[in-house]
Amino acid sequence: MNGSVETVGRDLGRILEALGGLMLVSLVVPVVWGEFFALPALLVSALIPLGIGWMLNRRFREAEAPGRFHGMIVAASGWFSVGIFGSLPFLLIAWSVQLGVPGISTPAQTATLAAFTEPLNAIFESMSGFTGTGLTMTDNEEVLPRTLQWWRTFTEWVGGVGVIVLTTAILSRPGSGSLTLYESEARSEKIHPSIVSTVRTIWWIFILFTFVSILALWLAGMPIWGAINHGMTGLATGGFSITDNSIATYDSVAIDFVLIPIMLLGSIAFPVHYLILRGDLRNFYSDLQTRWVFGYMGIGSALLWSFLYYAGPYGTPFAALRYGLFQFVSAATCTGFQTAVDATNVALGRWPSYAQLTVTFGMLVGGAAGSTAGGIKLIRGLTLAKGIRHQIADVFYPETAVRRLEINGRRLNEEEASREFMEAAIIVVLWITFLVVGTFMLLLTLPSGEYSLANVVFEVASAQGNVGLSSGITGPESLPVVGKVAFLFHMWIGRLEIIPVLVMLRTIFKRGGLYQ
Amino acid sequence: MKLRDLPVVSYVFEAGADDRVFDSLLLVGPLVIGLIVVLDRSVVTEALAVAYLAVFVLYTLYRGIRE
Repeated sequence: MNGSVETVGRDLGRILEALGGLMLVSLVVPVVWGEFFALPALLVSALIPLGIGWMLNRRFREAEAPGRFHGMIVAASGWFSVGIFGSLPFLLIAWSVQLGVPGISTPAQTATLAAFTEPLNAIFESMSGFTGTGLTMTDNEEVLPRTLQWWRTFTEWVGGVGVIVLTTAILSRPGSGSLTLYESEARSEKIHPSIVSTVRTIWWIFILFTFVSILALWLAGMPIWGAINHGMTGLATGGFSITDNSIATYDSVAIDFVLIPIMLLGSIAFPVHYLILRGDLRNFYSDLQTRWVFGYMGIGSALLWSFLYYAGPYGTPFAALRYGLFQFVSAATCTGFQTAVDATNVALGRWPSYAQLTVTFGMLVGGAAGSTAGGIKLIRGLTLAKGIRHQIADVFYPETAVRRLEINGRRLNEEEASREFMEAAIIVVLWITFLVVGTFMLLLTLPSGEYSLANVVFEVASAQGNVGLSSGITGPESLPVVGKVAFLFHMWIGRLEIIPVLVMLRTIFKRGGLYQ
Repeated sequence: MKLRDLPVVSYVFEAGADDRVFDSLLLVGPLVIGLIVVLDRSVVTEALAVAYLAVFVLYTLYRGIRE
Protein backbone atom coordinates (compact mmCIF):
# COMPACT_ATOMS: atom_id res chain seq x y z
CA MET A 1 0.00 0.00 0.00
CA ASN A 2 1.10 3.53 -0.65
CA GLY A 3 3.19 4.68 2.33
CA SER A 4 1.67 8.14 2.38
CA VAL A 5 -1.84 6.77 2.80
CA GLU A 6 -0.62 4.97 5.90
CA THR A 7 1.05 8.06 7.36
CA VAL A 8 -1.94 10.30 6.70
CA GLY A 9 -4.36 7.61 7.88
CA ARG A 10 -2.45 7.11 11.14
CA ASP A 11 -2.30 10.85 11.90
CA LEU A 12 -5.94 11.35 10.93
CA GLY A 13 -6.79 8.54 13.31
CA ARG A 14 -4.93 10.30 16.12
CA ILE A 15 -6.82 13.52 15.42
CA LEU A 16 -10.15 11.70 15.56
CA GLU A 17 -9.14 10.01 18.80
CA ALA A 18 -8.32 13.43 20.25
CA LEU A 19 -11.71 14.74 19.09
CA GLY A 20 -13.43 11.84 20.83
CA GLY A 21 -11.40 12.61 23.95
CA LEU A 22 -12.55 16.23 23.89
CA MET A 23 -16.15 15.06 23.75
CA LEU A 24 -15.60 12.67 26.65
CA VAL A 25 -14.11 15.52 28.73
CA SER A 26 -17.18 17.60 27.88
CA LEU A 27 -19.42 15.00 29.55
CA VAL A 28 -18.71 16.90 32.78
CA VAL A 29 -20.83 19.83 31.54
CA PRO A 30 -24.22 18.06 31.26
CA VAL A 31 -23.55 16.40 34.62
CA VAL A 32 -22.77 19.72 36.35
CA TRP A 33 -25.74 21.52 34.75
CA GLY A 34 -28.11 18.57 35.23
CA GLU A 35 -28.73 18.18 31.50
CA PHE A 36 -28.80 14.39 31.68
CA PHE A 37 -30.76 14.14 28.43
CA ALA A 38 -27.57 15.26 26.62
CA LEU A 39 -25.38 12.54 28.13
CA PRO A 40 -26.26 9.62 25.79
CA ALA A 41 -25.97 11.82 22.68
CA LEU A 42 -22.62 13.23 23.75
CA LEU A 43 -21.32 9.79 24.67
CA VAL A 44 -22.32 8.32 21.29
CA SER A 45 -20.83 11.39 19.58
CA ALA A 46 -17.54 10.69 21.36
CA LEU A 47 -17.46 6.95 20.66
CA ILE A 48 -17.87 7.32 16.88
CA PRO A 49 -14.70 9.37 16.16
CA LEU A 50 -12.91 7.52 18.95
CA GLY A 51 -13.69 4.15 17.33
CA ILE A 52 -12.82 5.25 13.79
CA GLY A 53 -9.68 6.98 15.01
CA TRP A 54 -8.61 3.94 17.00
CA MET A 55 -9.08 1.68 13.97
CA LEU A 56 -7.09 4.01 11.69
CA ASN A 57 -4.34 4.43 14.26
CA ARG A 58 -4.14 0.70 14.88
CA ARG A 59 -4.27 -0.21 11.18
CA PHE A 60 -1.47 2.20 10.24
CA ARG A 61 0.56 2.32 13.44
CA GLU A 62 3.71 1.18 11.63
CA ALA A 63 3.52 4.09 9.16
CA GLU A 64 6.53 6.29 8.56
CA ALA A 65 6.97 9.63 10.34
CA PRO A 66 5.26 12.49 8.51
CA GLY A 67 7.08 14.98 6.30
CA ARG A 68 5.95 18.51 5.54
CA PHE A 69 3.84 17.41 2.61
CA HIS A 70 1.99 14.94 4.82
CA GLY A 71 1.57 17.77 7.33
CA MET A 72 -0.41 19.75 4.77
CA ILE A 73 -2.60 16.81 3.78
CA VAL A 74 -3.19 15.86 7.42
CA ALA A 75 -4.02 19.47 8.33
CA ALA A 76 -6.51 19.85 5.47
CA SER A 77 -8.16 16.45 5.87
CA GLY A 78 -7.98 16.66 9.67
CA TRP A 79 -9.76 20.01 9.86
CA PHE A 80 -12.40 18.75 7.45
CA SER A 81 -12.94 15.52 9.39
CA VAL A 82 -13.08 17.29 12.72
CA GLY A 83 -15.67 19.68 11.25
CA ILE A 84 -17.79 16.71 10.14
CA PHE A 85 -17.50 14.56 13.28
CA GLY A 86 -17.67 17.61 15.56
CA SER A 87 -21.21 18.14 14.32
CA LEU A 88 -22.44 14.97 16.03
CA PRO A 89 -23.17 16.58 19.44
CA PHE A 90 -25.31 19.26 17.72
CA LEU A 91 -27.15 16.71 15.62
CA LEU A 92 -27.68 14.04 18.26
CA ILE A 93 -28.60 16.38 21.13
CA ALA A 94 -31.09 18.19 18.88
CA TRP A 95 -32.67 14.84 17.94
CA SER A 96 -32.59 13.70 21.59
CA VAL A 97 -34.72 16.70 22.52
CA GLN A 98 -36.89 16.26 19.42
CA LEU A 99 -37.69 12.59 20.08
CA GLY A 100 -37.15 12.43 23.84
CA VAL A 101 -34.81 10.14 25.77
CA PRO A 102 -36.52 7.17 27.50
CA GLY A 103 -36.38 7.47 31.28
CA ILE A 104 -34.89 10.99 31.26
CA SER A 105 -36.88 14.23 31.21
CA THR A 106 -36.08 16.42 28.21
CA PRO A 107 -36.79 20.14 27.81
CA ALA A 108 -39.21 21.46 25.21
CA GLN A 109 -37.82 21.73 21.71
CA THR A 110 -36.93 25.24 20.57
CA ALA A 111 -36.68 26.59 17.02
CA THR A 112 -32.99 27.32 17.64
CA LEU A 113 -32.14 23.76 18.67
CA ALA A 114 -34.47 22.26 16.05
CA ALA A 115 -32.29 23.85 13.35
CA PHE A 116 -29.57 21.34 14.27
CA THR A 117 -31.77 18.39 13.37
CA GLU A 118 -30.69 19.28 9.83
CA PRO A 119 -27.23 17.70 9.38
CA LEU A 120 -26.00 20.56 7.17
CA ASN A 121 -26.74 23.12 9.89
CA ALA A 122 -24.93 20.97 12.47
CA ILE A 123 -21.89 20.59 10.19
CA PHE A 124 -21.93 24.35 9.50
CA GLU A 125 -21.87 25.12 13.24
CA SER A 126 -19.09 22.63 13.88
CA MET A 127 -16.93 23.84 10.98
CA SER A 128 -17.56 27.44 12.04
CA GLY A 129 -16.36 26.52 15.53
CA PHE A 130 -13.26 24.55 14.65
CA THR A 131 -12.17 27.14 12.06
CA GLY A 132 -12.70 29.93 14.61
CA THR A 133 -15.19 31.67 12.35
CA GLY A 134 -18.19 32.24 14.57
CA LEU A 135 -20.92 32.46 11.93
CA THR A 136 -23.85 30.56 13.37
CA MET A 137 -26.96 28.63 12.46
CA THR A 138 -28.60 29.56 15.76
CA ASP A 139 -31.27 32.22 16.13
CA ASN A 140 -30.91 32.59 19.88
CA GLU A 141 -27.89 31.09 21.61
CA GLU A 142 -29.37 31.71 25.05
CA VAL A 143 -31.93 28.92 24.67
CA LEU A 144 -29.37 26.29 23.68
CA PRO A 145 -28.60 23.64 26.32
CA ARG A 146 -25.51 24.56 28.33
CA THR A 147 -23.85 21.44 26.91
CA LEU A 148 -24.06 22.82 23.37
CA GLN A 149 -23.10 26.32 24.50
CA TRP A 150 -19.94 24.72 25.94
CA TRP A 151 -19.30 22.54 22.90
CA ARG A 152 -19.47 25.59 20.60
CA THR A 153 -17.00 27.42 22.85
CA PHE A 154 -14.72 24.41 23.18
CA THR A 155 -14.56 23.88 19.39
CA GLU A 156 -13.34 27.45 18.90
CA TRP A 157 -10.85 27.27 21.75
CA VAL A 158 -9.31 24.01 20.56
CA GLY A 159 -9.41 25.22 16.95
CA GLY A 160 -7.55 28.35 18.06
CA VAL A 161 -4.72 26.32 19.56
CA GLY A 162 -4.79 24.12 16.49
CA VAL A 163 -4.14 26.94 14.09
CA ILE A 164 -1.27 28.31 16.21
CA VAL A 165 0.30 24.87 16.25
CA LEU A 166 -0.29 24.56 12.51
CA THR A 167 1.41 27.84 11.62
CA THR A 168 4.17 27.96 14.21
CA ALA A 169 5.15 24.33 14.59
CA ILE A 170 4.00 22.37 11.55
CA LEU A 171 3.89 24.81 8.64
CA SER A 172 6.48 27.25 9.91
CA ARG A 173 8.93 29.19 7.81
CA PRO A 174 10.97 32.30 8.62
CA GLY A 175 8.96 35.47 8.56
CA SER A 176 5.69 34.31 7.09
CA GLY A 177 4.47 32.05 9.84
CA SER A 178 3.62 29.38 7.33
CA LEU A 179 5.50 26.70 5.53
CA THR A 180 7.28 26.54 2.24
CA LEU A 181 3.97 25.61 0.84
CA TYR A 182 5.07 25.61 -2.73
CA GLU A 183 8.13 23.46 -2.47
CA SER A 184 8.23 20.59 -4.89
CA GLU A 185 7.26 17.27 -3.43
CA ALA A 186 10.82 15.96 -3.83
CA ARG A 187 12.04 18.62 -1.42
CA SER A 188 9.55 17.69 1.27
CA GLU A 189 11.33 17.68 4.62
CA LYS A 190 10.76 16.10 7.99
CA ILE A 191 8.91 18.05 10.65
CA HIS A 192 11.17 19.68 13.22
CA PRO A 193 11.94 17.23 16.03
CA SER A 194 11.16 19.75 18.80
CA ILE A 195 7.51 19.98 17.75
CA VAL A 196 6.28 18.34 20.98
CA SER A 197 7.90 20.93 23.25
CA THR A 198 6.70 23.74 20.96
CA VAL A 199 3.12 22.48 21.15
CA ARG A 200 3.30 22.15 24.94
CA THR A 201 4.52 25.72 25.27
CA ILE A 202 1.75 26.99 23.00
CA TRP A 203 -0.79 25.23 25.24
CA TRP A 204 0.92 26.67 28.34
CA ILE A 205 0.62 30.25 27.06
CA PHE A 206 -2.90 29.74 25.72
CA ILE A 207 -4.25 28.29 28.98
CA LEU A 208 -2.58 30.99 31.10
CA PHE A 209 -4.07 33.73 28.89
CA THR A 210 -7.45 31.99 29.03
CA PHE A 211 -7.51 32.23 32.84
CA VAL A 212 -6.48 35.88 32.68
CA SER A 213 -9.21 36.62 30.13
CA ILE A 214 -11.93 34.85 32.12
CA LEU A 215 -11.06 36.67 35.33
CA ALA A 216 -10.81 40.07 33.60
CA LEU A 217 -14.26 39.64 32.02
CA TRP A 218 -15.75 38.48 35.30
CA LEU A 219 -14.33 41.51 37.10
CA ALA A 220 -15.80 43.74 34.38
CA GLY A 221 -19.22 42.48 35.39
CA MET A 222 -19.89 39.45 33.20
CA PRO A 223 -21.48 36.43 34.93
CA ILE A 224 -18.96 33.59 35.39
CA TRP A 225 -20.52 31.24 32.79
CA GLY A 226 -20.45 34.06 30.24
CA ALA A 227 -16.90 35.00 31.28
CA ILE A 228 -15.69 31.41 30.82
CA ASN A 229 -17.27 31.10 27.38
CA HIS A 230 -16.45 34.58 26.07
CA GLY A 231 -12.95 34.50 27.57
CA MET A 232 -12.23 31.30 25.67
CA THR A 233 -13.80 32.37 22.37
CA GLY A 234 -12.38 35.90 22.65
CA LEU A 235 -8.81 34.72 23.10
CA ALA A 236 -9.27 32.16 20.33
CA THR A 237 -10.60 35.04 18.18
CA GLY A 238 -13.55 32.78 17.42
CA GLY A 239 -16.49 34.94 18.41
CA PHE A 240 -19.17 32.42 19.36
CA SER A 241 -21.36 33.85 22.08
CA ILE A 242 -23.81 32.32 24.53
CA THR A 243 -26.17 35.29 24.27
CA ASP A 244 -28.64 36.28 21.59
CA ASN A 245 -27.05 39.61 20.68
CA SER A 246 -23.41 38.65 21.21
CA ILE A 247 -21.57 41.11 23.48
CA ALA A 248 -24.26 43.76 22.90
CA THR A 249 -26.46 41.76 25.27
CA TYR A 250 -24.44 43.06 28.23
CA ASP A 251 -24.53 46.64 26.93
CA SER A 252 -21.55 47.40 29.17
CA VAL A 253 -18.76 49.84 28.38
CA ALA A 254 -16.44 48.03 30.81
CA ILE A 255 -16.97 44.63 29.14
CA ASP A 256 -16.51 46.15 25.67
CA PHE A 257 -13.19 47.70 26.65
CA VAL A 258 -11.92 44.62 28.52
CA LEU A 259 -12.60 42.45 25.49
CA ILE A 260 -10.46 44.63 23.21
CA PRO A 261 -7.08 43.62 24.75
CA ILE A 262 -8.26 40.00 24.96
CA MET A 263 -8.96 39.95 21.22
CA LEU A 264 -5.63 41.69 20.59
CA LEU A 265 -3.81 39.03 22.64
CA GLY A 266 -5.24 36.40 20.34
CA SER A 267 -4.14 38.26 17.21
CA ILE A 268 -0.46 38.61 18.22
CA ALA A 269 1.88 35.81 17.16
CA PHE A 270 2.34 33.33 20.01
CA PRO A 271 6.13 33.08 19.58
CA VAL A 272 6.13 36.81 20.40
CA HIS A 273 4.01 36.18 23.49
CA TYR A 274 6.58 33.61 24.55
CA LEU A 275 9.40 36.14 24.25
CA ILE A 276 7.40 38.80 26.10
CA LEU A 277 6.66 36.39 28.97
CA ARG A 278 10.38 35.69 29.15
CA GLY A 279 10.94 39.38 29.76
CA ASP A 280 11.67 40.67 26.28
CA LEU A 281 9.07 43.46 26.17
CA ARG A 282 10.84 45.10 23.22
CA ASN A 283 8.95 42.71 20.97
CA PHE A 284 5.89 44.91 21.38
CA TYR A 285 7.56 47.38 19.03
CA SER A 286 10.57 45.55 17.57
CA ASP A 287 8.51 42.76 15.98
CA LEU A 288 7.11 44.01 12.69
CA GLN A 289 3.78 42.20 12.91
CA THR A 290 3.13 43.14 16.53
CA ARG A 291 3.94 46.78 15.82
CA TRP A 292 1.50 46.69 12.94
CA VAL A 293 -1.20 44.93 14.96
CA PHE A 294 -1.39 48.09 17.05
CA GLY A 295 -0.74 50.54 14.21
CA TYR A 296 -3.21 48.94 11.84
CA MET A 297 -5.92 48.61 14.50
CA GLY A 298 -5.35 52.21 15.54
CA ILE A 299 -5.56 53.64 12.03
CA GLY A 300 -8.54 51.47 11.05
CA SER A 301 -10.45 52.28 14.23
CA ALA A 302 -9.79 56.02 13.84
CA LEU A 303 -11.04 55.90 10.25
CA LEU A 304 -14.14 53.97 11.22
CA TRP A 305 -14.77 56.31 14.15
CA SER A 306 -14.68 59.33 11.82
CA PHE A 307 -17.12 57.63 9.38
CA LEU A 308 -19.49 56.69 12.18
CA TYR A 309 -19.41 60.06 13.91
CA TYR A 310 -19.21 62.61 11.10
CA ALA A 311 -21.29 60.84 8.48
CA GLY A 312 -22.80 57.89 10.27
CA PRO A 313 -25.42 56.83 12.72
CA TYR A 314 -23.89 57.81 16.08
CA GLY A 315 -24.59 61.19 17.66
CA THR A 316 -21.77 61.43 20.19
CA PRO A 317 -18.01 61.02 19.74
CA PHE A 318 -17.88 58.46 22.56
CA ALA A 319 -20.62 56.26 21.08
CA ALA A 320 -18.83 56.31 17.70
CA LEU A 321 -15.54 55.46 19.47
CA ARG A 322 -17.06 52.68 21.55
CA TYR A 323 -18.75 50.88 18.67
CA GLY A 324 -16.22 51.81 15.97
CA LEU A 325 -13.17 50.72 17.98
CA PHE A 326 -14.79 47.50 19.16
CA GLN A 327 -16.10 46.49 15.74
CA PHE A 328 -12.87 47.26 13.91
CA VAL A 329 -10.76 45.35 16.44
CA SER A 330 -13.30 42.52 16.43
CA ALA A 331 -13.12 42.38 12.61
CA ALA A 332 -9.38 42.82 12.16
CA THR A 333 -8.53 40.29 14.86
CA CYS A 334 -11.09 38.04 13.13
CA THR A 335 -13.01 37.49 16.36
CA GLY A 336 -16.50 38.47 15.26
CA PHE A 337 -18.00 39.64 18.54
CA GLN A 338 -20.73 42.16 17.83
CA THR A 339 -21.77 45.19 19.84
CA ALA A 340 -23.42 47.05 16.95
CA VAL A 341 -26.93 45.58 16.93
CA ASP A 342 -30.35 47.18 16.63
CA ALA A 343 -31.35 46.14 20.15
CA THR A 344 -28.98 48.67 21.74
CA ASN A 345 -27.74 50.96 18.94
CA VAL A 346 -27.41 50.55 15.14
CA ALA A 347 -26.84 47.15 13.51
CA LEU A 348 -23.65 46.66 11.53
CA GLY A 349 -25.65 45.74 8.43
CA ARG A 350 -27.31 49.18 8.56
CA TRP A 351 -24.07 51.15 8.83
CA PRO A 352 -23.18 53.23 5.76
CA SER A 353 -21.60 51.16 2.96
CA TYR A 354 -18.19 52.82 3.34
CA ALA A 355 -18.18 52.00 7.07
CA GLN A 356 -19.07 48.37 6.29
CA LEU A 357 -16.32 48.23 3.67
CA THR A 358 -13.81 49.60 6.19
CA VAL A 359 -14.72 46.72 8.49
CA THR A 360 -14.51 44.34 5.50
CA PHE A 361 -10.97 45.56 4.78
CA GLY A 362 -10.07 44.82 8.41
CA MET A 363 -11.38 41.27 8.00
CA LEU A 364 -9.45 40.82 4.76
CA VAL A 365 -6.04 41.69 6.22
CA GLY A 366 -6.53 40.04 9.63
CA GLY A 367 -3.96 39.73 12.42
CA ALA A 368 -0.45 38.32 12.75
CA ALA A 369 0.68 35.01 11.30
CA GLY A 370 1.29 32.58 14.15
CA SER A 371 -1.76 33.84 16.04
CA THR A 372 -5.36 32.63 16.14
CA ALA A 373 -6.48 35.37 13.73
CA GLY A 374 -7.59 34.69 10.15
CA GLY A 375 -7.48 36.78 6.99
CA ILE A 376 -4.49 37.25 4.68
CA LYS A 377 -2.26 38.08 7.69
CA LEU A 378 -0.32 41.25 8.36
CA ILE A 379 3.05 39.84 7.36
CA ARG A 380 1.81 39.06 3.86
CA GLY A 381 0.29 42.51 3.45
CA LEU A 382 3.54 44.09 4.64
CA THR A 383 5.66 41.83 2.43
CA LEU A 384 3.55 42.85 -0.56
CA ALA A 385 3.77 46.57 0.29
CA LYS A 386 7.53 46.48 0.92
CA GLY A 387 8.09 44.27 -2.14
CA ILE A 388 6.19 46.63 -4.43
CA ARG A 389 8.20 49.58 -3.10
CA HIS A 390 11.41 47.60 -3.59
CA GLN A 391 10.52 46.71 -7.18
CA ILE A 392 9.58 50.27 -8.09
CA ALA A 393 12.74 51.70 -6.48
CA ASP A 394 14.78 49.16 -8.45
CA VAL A 395 14.30 51.27 -11.58
CA PHE A 396 16.36 54.07 -10.05
CA TYR A 397 19.41 51.94 -9.30
CA PRO A 398 22.09 50.76 -11.76
CA GLU A 399 21.71 47.16 -12.91
CA THR A 400 24.88 46.16 -11.11
CA ALA A 401 23.62 47.45 -7.74
CA VAL A 402 23.23 44.79 -5.03
CA ARG A 403 20.05 45.55 -3.14
CA ARG A 404 18.43 43.78 -0.23
CA LEU A 405 14.85 43.80 1.00
CA GLU A 406 14.55 44.13 4.76
CA ILE A 407 11.54 42.49 6.39
CA ASN A 408 11.26 42.15 10.15
CA GLY A 409 15.01 42.35 10.73
CA ARG A 410 15.82 39.86 7.96
CA ARG A 411 17.84 41.15 4.98
CA LEU A 412 16.75 39.20 1.91
CA ASN A 413 18.79 38.94 -1.27
CA GLU A 414 17.13 39.26 -4.69
CA GLU A 415 16.21 35.60 -4.93
CA GLU A 416 14.83 35.38 -1.39
CA ALA A 417 12.95 38.67 -1.76
CA SER A 418 11.43 37.58 -5.04
CA ARG A 419 10.39 34.24 -3.54
CA GLU A 420 8.75 35.72 -0.44
CA PHE A 421 7.05 38.41 -2.51
CA MET A 422 5.67 35.80 -4.88
CA GLU A 423 4.42 33.59 -2.02
CA ALA A 424 2.59 36.50 -0.43
CA ALA A 425 1.17 37.54 -3.81
CA ILE A 426 -0.09 34.02 -4.55
CA ILE A 427 -1.98 33.84 -1.26
CA VAL A 428 -3.47 37.30 -1.73
CA VAL A 429 -4.53 36.60 -5.32
CA LEU A 430 -6.09 33.25 -4.34
CA TRP A 431 -7.79 34.85 -1.36
CA ILE A 432 -9.36 37.58 -3.48
CA THR A 433 -10.27 35.15 -6.26
CA PHE A 434 -12.21 32.94 -3.86
CA LEU A 435 -13.79 36.04 -2.32
CA VAL A 436 -15.03 37.21 -5.73
CA VAL A 437 -16.26 33.75 -6.75
CA GLY A 438 -18.06 33.37 -3.41
CA THR A 439 -19.65 36.77 -3.77
CA PHE A 440 -20.97 35.96 -7.25
CA MET A 441 -22.31 32.64 -6.03
CA LEU A 442 -24.11 34.21 -3.09
CA LEU A 443 -25.54 37.01 -5.23
CA LEU A 444 -26.98 34.39 -7.58
CA THR A 445 -28.60 32.34 -4.83
CA LEU A 446 -29.92 35.04 -2.50
CA PRO A 447 -33.35 36.60 -3.14
CA SER A 448 -32.76 39.58 -5.44
CA GLY A 449 -32.92 43.03 -3.88
CA GLU A 450 -32.84 41.78 -0.29
CA TYR A 451 -29.16 42.42 0.37
CA SER A 452 -26.75 45.02 -1.01
CA LEU A 453 -23.42 44.16 -2.66
CA ALA A 454 -21.65 45.55 0.42
CA ASN A 455 -23.68 43.12 2.60
CA VAL A 456 -22.73 40.14 0.43
CA VAL A 457 -19.00 40.99 0.16
CA PHE A 458 -18.99 41.58 3.91
CA GLU A 459 -20.52 38.16 4.63
CA VAL A 460 -18.22 36.20 2.31
CA ALA A 461 -15.13 38.03 3.62
CA SER A 462 -16.32 37.25 7.14
CA ALA A 463 -16.60 33.52 6.37
CA GLN A 464 -13.31 33.28 4.49
CA GLY A 465 -11.44 35.47 6.98
CA ASN A 466 -12.80 33.27 9.83
CA VAL A 467 -14.30 36.36 11.43
CA GLY A 468 -17.97 35.66 12.09
CA LEU A 469 -19.44 39.15 11.89
CA SER A 470 -22.69 39.06 9.97
CA SER A 471 -24.60 41.58 7.93
CA GLY A 472 -27.67 39.43 8.54
CA ILE A 473 -27.36 36.91 5.70
CA THR A 474 -26.20 33.86 7.67
CA GLY A 475 -28.95 31.93 9.42
CA PRO A 476 -30.71 28.57 9.19
CA GLU A 477 -33.46 29.98 6.98
CA SER A 478 -31.89 33.07 5.40
CA LEU A 479 -28.82 31.37 3.91
CA PRO A 480 -29.67 29.02 1.01
CA VAL A 481 -28.24 25.48 0.96
CA VAL A 482 -25.76 26.42 -1.79
CA GLY A 483 -24.60 29.33 0.35
CA LYS A 484 -24.13 27.08 3.39
CA VAL A 485 -22.04 24.61 1.40
CA ALA A 486 -20.01 27.44 -0.15
CA PHE A 487 -19.41 28.97 3.30
CA LEU A 488 -18.20 25.60 4.61
CA PHE A 489 -15.57 25.69 1.87
CA HIS A 490 -14.71 29.37 2.54
CA MET A 491 -14.24 28.73 6.27
CA TRP A 492 -12.11 25.67 5.59
CA ILE A 493 -9.75 27.27 3.07
CA GLY A 494 -9.58 30.46 5.11
CA ARG A 495 -8.41 28.62 8.22
CA LEU A 496 -5.74 26.64 6.36
CA GLU A 497 -4.58 29.62 4.29
CA ILE A 498 -5.86 28.00 1.08
CA ILE A 499 -2.74 26.19 -0.14
CA PRO A 500 -2.96 22.98 1.97
CA VAL A 501 -6.57 22.52 0.84
CA LEU A 502 -5.62 22.97 -2.80
CA VAL A 503 -2.69 20.59 -2.36
CA MET A 504 -5.02 18.01 -0.85
CA LEU A 505 -7.65 18.42 -3.56
CA ARG A 506 -5.00 18.20 -6.29
CA THR A 507 -3.60 15.07 -4.70
CA ILE A 508 -7.01 13.45 -4.57
CA PHE A 509 -8.45 14.52 -7.90
CA LYS A 510 -5.52 14.97 -10.26
CA ARG A 511 -3.15 12.23 -9.20
CA GLY A 512 -5.83 9.76 -8.34
CA GLY A 513 -4.01 8.76 -5.19
CA LEU A 514 -1.94 10.14 -2.38
CA TYR A 515 1.59 11.44 -2.69
CA GLN A 516 4.19 8.79 -3.38
CA MET B 1 8.10 13.03 46.39
CA LYS B 2 8.66 16.58 45.21
CA LEU B 3 5.96 18.93 43.95
CA ARG B 4 7.47 18.99 40.47
CA ASP B 5 7.16 15.18 40.24
CA LEU B 6 3.34 15.34 40.23
CA PRO B 7 1.96 14.58 36.73
CA VAL B 8 0.22 17.89 35.90
CA VAL B 9 2.77 20.01 37.72
CA SER B 10 5.69 18.44 35.88
CA TYR B 11 4.04 19.17 32.52
CA VAL B 12 3.49 22.80 33.51
CA PHE B 13 7.04 23.21 34.81
CA GLU B 14 8.60 21.67 31.71
CA ALA B 15 6.68 23.85 29.23
CA GLY B 16 6.23 27.59 28.87
CA ALA B 17 8.41 30.51 29.83
CA ASP B 18 10.45 28.55 32.41
CA ASP B 19 9.32 30.84 35.21
CA ARG B 20 7.88 29.62 38.51
CA VAL B 21 5.59 32.65 39.04
CA PHE B 22 3.83 32.13 35.71
CA ASP B 23 3.79 28.37 36.34
CA SER B 24 2.11 29.04 39.70
CA LEU B 25 -0.47 31.32 38.08
CA LEU B 26 -1.26 28.58 35.61
CA LEU B 27 -1.73 26.02 38.36
CA VAL B 28 -3.74 28.34 40.62
CA GLY B 29 -6.02 29.63 37.81
CA PRO B 30 -8.52 26.75 37.86
CA LEU B 31 -8.76 26.99 41.66
CA VAL B 32 -9.58 30.72 41.53
CA ILE B 33 -12.20 30.19 38.83
CA GLY B 34 -13.56 27.19 40.73
CA LEU B 35 -13.93 29.29 43.88
CA ILE B 36 -15.78 31.96 41.92
CA VAL B 37 -18.15 29.32 40.53
CA VAL B 38 -18.84 27.97 44.03
CA LEU B 39 -18.89 31.20 46.07
CA ASP B 40 -20.21 33.56 43.36
CA ARG B 41 -19.42 37.28 43.44
CA SER B 42 -18.17 38.45 46.82
CA VAL B 43 -15.46 40.67 48.26
CA VAL B 44 -13.23 37.63 48.74
CA THR B 45 -13.59 36.27 45.21
CA GLU B 46 -13.21 39.74 43.67
CA ALA B 47 -10.06 40.33 45.73
CA LEU B 48 -8.69 36.98 44.54
CA ALA B 49 -9.38 37.82 40.90
CA VAL B 50 -7.83 41.28 41.25
CA ALA B 51 -4.77 39.78 42.94
CA TYR B 52 -4.40 37.18 40.17
CA LEU B 53 -4.56 39.78 37.40
CA ALA B 54 -2.31 42.20 39.29
CA VAL B 55 0.38 39.55 39.77
CA PHE B 56 0.20 38.63 36.09
CA VAL B 57 0.45 42.20 34.78
CA LEU B 58 2.95 43.54 37.31
CA TYR B 59 5.20 40.49 37.11
CA THR B 60 5.24 40.63 33.30
CA LEU B 61 6.30 44.30 33.51
CA TYR B 62 8.83 43.52 36.25
CA ARG B 63 10.46 40.80 34.16
CA GLY B 64 10.58 43.15 31.19
CA ILE B 65 12.21 45.94 33.18
CA ARG B 66 14.64 43.54 34.86
CA GLU B 67 15.78 42.16 31.52
